[in-house]
Amino acid sequence: MSTYNPFNLDGKNFLITGAASGIGKATSIVLSKLGARLILVDINEDGLQQTKLECSNDVSLLIVDLANINTIKDKVLSAIPEFGKLHGFVHLAGKPYIAPLKSVSIEKCNDIFSINTLSAIELSKVFTSRNVYVGEKGSIVFVSSVYGVVGSAANVAYAMSKSALHGITKALAIELSSKKIRVNCIAPGFVKTNMLDTSSTMFDINYAETLKKLHPLGVGEPEDIAYSIAYLLSDAAKWVTGSIMNIDGGFTAQ
Amino acid sequence: MEQFKSELAEILEVDSVEMTQELESFECWDSLTILSIIALSSETYNVTLSAADVKNAKTVGGLYELFNTK
Repeated sequence: MSTYNPFNLDGKNFLITGAASGIGKATSIVLSKLGARLILVDINEDGLQQTKLECSNDVSLLIVDLANINTIKDKVLSAIPEFGKLHGFVHLAGKPYIAPLKSVSIEKCNDIFSINTLSAIELSKVFTSRNVYVGEKGSIVFVSSVYGVVGSAANVAYAMSKSALHGITKALAIELSSKKIRVNCIAPGFVKTNMLDTSSTMFDINYAETLKKLHPLGVGEPEDIAYSIAYLLSDAAKWVTGSIMNIDGGFTAQ
Repeated sequence: MEQFKSELAEILEVDSVEMTQELESFECWDSLTILSIIALSSETYNVTLSAADVKNAKTVGGLYELFNTK
């Protein structure tokens, strides 16, 4: 008798951006344990090698600088013949940009928007081509932020890039439904990662306490986000599309 | 130095600054202003500062020294 598991990802192929560290690394490990084969994408090759060591299933590595949008298509297409076609992808790569309005640089805004947002559109475009998409049960998961949902000072550029993902999610959910591709987005609260550690030094010493108060269930672990992504990629979420899921320890419940 | 003073004056919302002025004496001195100074140091001077570094600089001159020695 086979074990009942609607979250099983055996036989599924996914591409994951931002896989070298933080939530991307944790997600890669979780999806791998659930049976998925993965193409791990990042600019950081050493980090990708580390993630690969902890994955328990077949993985392929792809070094891509997502800021160079024009290179994404060729890089992904080059990996497919050997790896096989994809059932979906997760766009986890992202850069923070903490700067009050009076010091915001438009050049930096463009950089953040390219990596966090425009690359999501390009990846979707490449994924949905007949040379890449396996043709059934497709699933795209974008990862935004609570700051794409609620306001926060000194965050205008990052909020722009993340809230735009919500619009992209809903637009593509409609457009790609005929291709049997579901499109959803996770909006995480603060999670214990190196990105959070780096950002925290910009604030005062009470920042950790402030963060705790923002999250009734405390600051999250990378796996908390990884499990929600696994759900959206699995057949258990076959009737879910166009959703923005707040996985944030209660941040946006307040 | 003059460019630094000019950039800092813009962030501190005044016409000009003097090297001996205390940072906390400026009317707009708050956590957002500190973040603006951190952004300036990172983007224009390629220097990574924490909020504590900026506070410990105490004066405009102290900040200038920090930008040039860190």
